[in-house]
Amino acid sequence: MSIVPKETIEVIAQSVGITNLSADAALALAPDVEYRMREIMQEAIKCMRHSRRTILTREDVDGALSLRNVEPVYGFASGGPLQFKRALGHRDLFYVDDRDVDIRDIIEAPLPKAPLDSAVVCHWLAIEGVQPAIPENAPVGAPSNGKDYEQKGGHSVDIKLPVKHVLSRELQLYFDKITELTVSKSDSVLFKEALVSLATDSGLHPLVPYFTCFVADEVSRGLNDYSLLFALMRVVWSLLQNSHINMEPYLHQLMPSVATCLVSRKLGNKAAENHWELRDFTAKLVASMCKKFGHVYNTLQTRLTRTLLNALLDPKRTLTQHYGAIQGLAALGPKVVHLLILPNLEPYLRLLEPEMLLETQKNATKRYEAWRVYGALLHAAGECIHDRLKIFPPFPSLQAQAVWKTNAKVITTAPNKRKASREPMDIEPPLKRTETDVQALASTSPSSPHMQEGTVTPPPSSDSGVGQSSSDGKVIDDGRAGSGVGKQKGDSQALKTSAILKQVWKEDLNSGQLLVQLFELFGEGILSFIPAPETSLFL
Amino acid sequence: MENLQTVNNFVAAYLKKKGFQDAEQFLEDLQNKDSTPIDFQNDPDLANFIQPFSRSEDDPSRYHEGYGKLRSWTFSLPDLYKRELVRVLYPFFIHSFMDLVAKGHVQEARTFFNTFHEDHEMIHLRDLQKLEGVVSQSHLEEMEFARSLRQRKVNVKICQYSYDLLLQYLRKTESTTMLAVINEHINFQVIPGQSSSIPDDAEVVSLIGDRQDVNQKEILWGLLEDSLEERLEKAGGLLSDSEKAEGETKEGDIDETKKRSVESGKQGASTKKLKKDKAVNATAKAARPEPTTASAAPRVNPELPLPIMPTEVEQSILEDLRKRVQLSSVPLPSVSFYTFVNTHNGLNCSSISHDGSLVAGGFSDSSLKVWDMAKLGQEAASSVLQNENDSSTSEHVMGPNGGKRSYTLFQGHSGPVYSATFSPLGDFILSSSADTTIRLWSTKLNANLVCYKGHNYPVWDVQFSPVGHFFASSSHDRTARIWSMDRIQPLRVMAGHLSDVDCVQWHANCNYIATGSSDKTVRMWDVQSGECVRIFIGHRSMILSLAVSPDGRHMASGDEDGTIMMWDLSSGRCVTPLMGHTSCVWTLAFSCEGSLLASGSADCTVKLWDVTTSTKVPRSEEKSGSANRLRSLKTLPTKSTPVYSLQFSKRNVLFAAGTLSKTV
Repeated sequence: MSIVPKETIEVIAQSVGITNLSADAALALAPDVEYRMREIMQEAIKCMRHSRRTILTREDVDGALSLRNVEPVYGFASGGPLQFKRALGHRDLFYVDDRDVDIRDIIEAPLPKAPLDSAVVCHWLAIEGVQPAIPENAPVGAPSNGKDYEQKGGHSVDIKLPVKHVLSRELQLYFDKITELTVSKSDSVLFKEALVSLATDSGLHPLVPYFTCFVADEVSRGLNDYSLLFALMRVVWSLLQNSHINMEPYLHQLMPSVATCLVSRKLGNKAAENHWELRDFTAKLVASMCKKFGHVYNTLQTRLTRTLLNALLDPKRTLTQHYGAIQGLAALGPKVVHLLILPNLEPYLRLLEPEMLLETQKNATKRYEAWRVYGALLHAAGECIHDRLKIFPPFPSLQAQAVWKTNAKVITTAPNKRKASREPMDIEPPLKRTETDVQALASTSPSSPHMQEGTVTPPPSSDSGVGQSSSDGKVIDDGRAGSGVGKQKGDSQALKTSAILKQVWKEDLNSGQLLVQLFELFGEGILSFIPAPETSLFL
Repeated sequence: MENLQTVNNFVAAYLKKKGFQDAEQFLEDLQNKDSTPIDFQNDPDLANFIQPFSRSEDDPSRYHEGYGKLRSWTFSLPDLYKRELVRVLYPFFIHSFMDLVAKGHVQEARTFFNTFHEDHEMIHLRDLQKLEGVVSQSHLEEMEFARSLRQRKVNVKICQYSYDLLLQYLRKTESTTMLAVINEHINFQVIPGQSSSIPDDAEVVSLIGDRQDVNQKEILWGLLEDSLEERLEKAGGLLSDSEKAEGETKEGDIDETKKRSVESGKQGASTKKLKKDKAVNATAKAARPEPTTASAAPRVNPELPLPIMPTEVEQSILEDLRKRVQLSSVPLPSVSFYTFVNTHNGLNCSSISHDGSLVAGGFSDSSLKVWDMAKLGQEAASSVLQNENDSSTSEHVMGPNGGKRSYTLFQGHSGPVYSATFSPLGDFILSSSADTTIRLWSTKLNANLVCYKGHNYPVWDVQFSPVGHFFASSSHDRTARIWSMDRIQPLRVMAGHLSDVDCVQWHANCNYIATGSSDKTVRMWDVQSGECVRIFIGHRSMILSLAVSPDGRHMASGDEDGTIMMWDLSSGRCVTPLMGHTSCVWTLAFSCEGSLLASGSADCTVKLWDVTTSTKVPRSEEKSGSANRLRSLKTLPTKSTPVYSLQFSKRNVLFAAGTLSKTV
């Protein structure tokens, strides 16, 4: 009947000390209360309008009450809007949140700043009907009631000052923390968390220029600190992964430092530190950068490849630099390899060969480096040829399937299988360590999906033997063994389809020639990249 | 009873003779059913069909049923008549509701209201909001709006055919309750002809009855004789004639113009006879081919003793008039905007002096602050920083804590200041406040001169007359009052509005004032007699601002919803509504030659409207409805600053003021 239920009247009556209010009286009072309230609100709205406001305030209601000669409502003089809270256990019962305030707190609190005195500022809203584009006017075309600009100080003078880039306190703390972790505790769990945060958090965009600067600075300063460099590259990688950040404007600053980590003469202080791993990682980083921003920043890849190729074709550069260059180019994709590496492969191998042989190169480190380079080349060439050959649809799918199938068995049968997988490599030159590396590279290269892990995770360190390599981590083992098994299984299965494939293969003479050429250069090492039926075909 | 019976018999016989078989049958049925008397007081046509309204039969559900049926029938009508009859539904609705309340069926009244109020919400939203709260007989008597509705009959203009349709329907369905409503509360004015001939405006269904009579009174909307503009024209002509003679002293110039003005006074005497409204119209029409300059308006004699203007002031005004920029739809004015900052939501009103050099703000903390923009400009030029010492500021700007104030503070009121107005010369300010007083301040002495007490409730608005000396005020006590500066008692009290008088404005010739009220009407009052001479009905919410065109012929009023209406003063009709604002129109101003209307609103825009295109339209075209909409020329958005006041200077620069608010 009325929007004020009689229960409300009863509650109010109780609150003023009338306990025996009859139900009839409450029922009769309720509509009248509603009417009076409407009346008061109508007057309050008048007061609001005459105060040139569109929002009703407490003062308006007080004004309306005083118009009716009613005592105003006390106790609501605070400036802010009232906070209503829902009473626990009731869906539609609300109360005003009125906290107890310790009077001492108020007395001891510092005096708030005195409010600014009112003032009048003058500007041209329009000159002969045209609005000048000055900060005092609403931006043309924008809705005028937007909260576009807060003229807090009143005077619009500070608008003309150069825009200050203000970093919030939180962001500053965040930046400090991240940089500290990167520099000093890059192997901690916390750093891993930090990387995840960098890769996923939104709102980091204001920090990007600072990170860019930080990376550039640290790389140029800390070329001898392997772990720092690796940590930095990981930071860059994480930033690149973050979908909320647009790295494109900062690439030109980042690229030199990243390229340094790829083709620098010396990374890290001790030989024990696995700078190969860093180079591999950086190569992947570079490739992902090119992939991500190649279309917007179209000179990126050309500039990068030019740098890398220069590094590769300069015989004065060290082998480590060559390695980085090869890895970088290889990461950019088989097409790049085909275009840039393969034509130079033969002369380069001729240079490399003496370095690899025990007789000509006495320095074990150098020799190892040479083998590393050789492995990288082999890998790159293999990738390339694999890419060329895999245009035939039925085969890779078969192989991949086979790999997946056999994967499950891997763990139990791993030692055995690995032995088997190593068999084709036995023809390889004697050096044990190198052999493992090559094998590792070779076996990880086929592009079945889970093989990617192989490239990310470091191959066994140079001084570890074959036996140690098995303890290196299950992922690698799985990958390696899996691929080996895959190949073998694929072998048998594919033999059946080889008849069909033969025809297809004949058509691609180019590939064939390339294969032959590579075979000549690399010997049987290349064969592991080539799907088995073709091997049989060509052999 | 006996007498009644004979009458009935007589009617029956008459009907038989004339062959009205239906009616005869109906009458018989009536007589058989009950014997309570029939109301014959209305026109016989109606009375024939109206069944008696008997309390014994009174059943609350009948209203619901009767109205519901009538409504669905109305909506099923062909469009031509539907339009008319849907409008008629509203009086049925409110009176049915109030009948229910009056008889104590509160619950049923509520249900009835909730069921049907949506139909009328679009047009009558605010009335409905008021009525919604009415839940008992005593409320009906207490509430001004309800009482006025109950006491008066609603006037409804309706065409013959629609009227017949309605009656036929009510008769067939025997909707006694609805017929009773017609009987008691509705006064049909049947118009012969097609329904389309009835103008489509709000006054077709007018809830306030006496308007028609009021608006018949004549009104002299012409300008004052011997005004400065007139003199300027003569002087202008003189100047162009004797451009070489400019070396003459200005004294001589003025003398010349005075001579001319004496002549023109003689001419004016001959036209004085043409005081009748229509005659004035005719002359105006005849003068139409001429451009819209104010001179086309007829001259009238001032009814108030006008103050004498000092010569040097006169001279400066003439100078201004000469330099005035001619505005029309193409050359738009320059707008200078005064933004109040750091008002902490306390600014209630602002006012700008006629030359734009002084700005006053009335605050809710009872203070009135006046900024001298000329001085402020100098300071700003010399010092941007606030703490810089500047010796040019006088003592009065020193605050209590020794800090510098950029304004003059006037303290004296004991309640929020709701309005402020500058005298034409800028030497006085009037302010009105919630403490029921109006105070006169001198800007020269920086002191309060007079406190005018007379109103019993907060004074919403105060306005100086265009010649100064006199001023008008409006208040919550539903009156408007005329005062002169030298008396502390009001000279006239204008009573008649049904609710608060929210704003007041002088007519250009000082003989009339216009008032806008919360009862959604604008009234025009004769200053001399204190009579209401016009009622303008059409707004759907509270009137917030008024402006009278410089030629005295038109008036604009702005309301709470953002609608602006242009009124023709002589006919009392709305020329055209101006739609565009989305929130309260706080202020309106005509440019000096009357070609532009500027409006400032709570939606943070200043809009400029072309007034000439519509006012020039001949009356024949005017009737054709929406063809003559006023053109909105330009919308100037501000930066979250609602516009509180607008003022065209004599040279046609528009000054605007508003407070920067973050919440809007």
